[in-house]
Amino acid sequence: MTDQIIYDRGYRSYEGPRLGPPGARRAILKDGVRRVLGLGRKARMKIFPWLLISIGLAVAAGLIGAHWLIGDLAESVGDGLVPSYGEMFDIYGWIALLFIALAGPQLLIPDRSRGVLSVYFSRPLTVDGYLTSKAGAFVAVVGVIYLLPQFLLHLGLALISDDGFLPYLGDNLDILWKVPATALGFIVLHGALVFAISAFVDRQGIAAATFLGLFIATRPIAFLMTEASFPGSNYFTLLALDHHPRIIRDYLFNNTTEYPAEAAGFEVWVSLLVIIALVGLSTWLVRSRYRRLA
Amino acid sequence: MEPVLQASNLTHDFGEVIALRDLNLEVPPGVTGLVGANGAGKTTLLRVMLGLLHPTAGTTTVLGHNPETEPLEVRARIGYMPEGDCLPKDQTAADFVAYAAQLAGIPHDEARRRSSETLFLVGLEEERFRFLGDFSTGMQQRVKLAQAIVHDPDLLLLDEPASGLDPDGRTQMLALIKRLAEFDINVIVSSHVLTDIEETCDWVVMLDAGDLLKSGPLERRELLGTVDVEVLERAETVAEALRARGIEVSVDGRRLEAGPGDETLEGAIVEEIASARAGLVRMTRESTSLEDLFLDRDAPERDVPQ
Repeated sequence: MTDQIIYDRGYRSYEGPRLGPPGARRAILKDGVRRVLGLGRKARMKIFPWLLISIGLAVAAGLIGAHWLIGDLAESVGDGLVPSYGEMFDIYGWIALLFIALAGPQLLIPDRSRGVLSVYFSRPLTVDGYLTSKAGAFVAVVGVIYLLPQFLLHLGLALISDDGFLPYLGDNLDILWKVPATALGFIVLHGALVFAISAFVDRQGIAAATFLGLFIATRPIAFLMTEASFPGSNYFTLLALDHHPRIIRDYLFNNTTEYPAEAAGFEVWVSLLVIIALVGLSTWLVRSRYRRLA
Repeated sequence: MEPVLQASNLTHDFGEVIALRDLNLEVPPGVTGLVGANGAGKTTLLRVMLGLLHPTAGTTTVLGHNPETEPLEVRARIGYMPEGDCLPKDQTAADFVAYAAQLAGIPHDEARRRSSETLFLVGLEEERFRFLGDFSTGMQQRVKLAQAIVHDPDLLLLDEPASGLDPDGRTQMLALIKRLAEFDINVIVSSHVLTDIEETCDWVVMLDAGDLLKSGPLERRELLGTVDVEVLERAETVAEALRARGIEVSVDGRRLEAGPGDETLEGAIVEEIASARAGLVRMTRESTSLEDLFLDRDAPERDVPQ
């Protein structure tokens, strides 16, 4: 045994594998997920995301309990006492919207306002690689927010089903694509808009408020326009941005809710077109902004 | 040895403002100082080297690659320490430096190891699990340096690395940069503080309002200047003895001007004064600073490779 101490380890050169641009993109995606969930950050950064996730899971657990307790009653008084899979999106809508309002700005703004972009773009990484990785992190986390409670609900309902676990799953196979497809509509539209706002606003609070305001303010305008009679007023009903993924959801789940755009005579494909156009415009804006910044 | 940077008729403008004008230069491996006043074009040249700005005219080659057409190949081999803030305040130093390594393609586990080692090297071993928002300016500069070297780059670009540091912090940062040369990392240090360049660099590139003033080796002997000596008597005898040693000397009465010469010059003068029993009254070194060379803009360019 010796009592020698190493005071200076010097610098070790690296001869191992280098993963190149794909490795850089994976690192950004993982860091994005950790950032949104507050992992590796101070405790206060964890409060909101985990509170919202907990609420989402609690709602799912509550609904499973409700089905279990009043399932027979629901059958006797008719459907509607407990929500369906499609209606779950309305229940989660506000939780997800709040989460997205926090996650989008969190993913883009700190890198820009704190100058970290200069580190990213000195690495083997393109602007598109950076943005797609950030978008990947967004879809991964928000996807879990939308799908995890639904998944738990699905399993829970299968477990308490009178028909048995496997027969229930077999009878509801369509849920496996309808729920993810509906979630994708919400995530893509919300994600594109919150990214577009976050690309141009330098304060996270203002970006979150702008995003929420966009959805809150456009709803009453659309409802008012159903009553208006001036030429072209029906097009204003399309302004209710949050209704478009719901219209697609209703189409997939055969729901009968009528939104202002539908009342004004627009078919479901118009909502799909609006989503695609908004996503395209937002993507162009965000790319243009970051190409100038790089 | 392959030059780390070659520029041929390199020009870059921002509309009417010409940031770099018709630059022709070749920078060898080693530690190079990129000097010039604010707005001289130093940061623009670094950004052209990274492929973040494309030249308006001319070409650049960095480590054998053209950053305009092969930016990812160039960036994979470069480490960059920006002048401004570049640290996320909500991450620990260890997490951020490991993340910076992963961004350069180092696998996760190795990135964590190298993060720890690099933070040790820059003197932040104890603080590595603290959040960057709690760091002082000096500590932040060290983290910026750590993220630039963690992935073992072939070339390190440092943009004003001692900016905002107090004298102690500046001395420590310059010592760190000197150490990097010992590890065979090529470095280009951009600075408007000429003494920083004098202390750390072997080669110097001087820019002024986008023009290349000088590009060549930094001859420390040239910077040492001449020694003024006053003796009580026998000035001519001392001068003859110094000339016999190959030292250039001029005599004016009891005063001599010897040199220029290196650090041994004073010792030789003292020895000859003692031998001649001439009696030393005073002795001072007239040193030339890099600033003098920089301000002497009419001086011919030294060793500018075309």
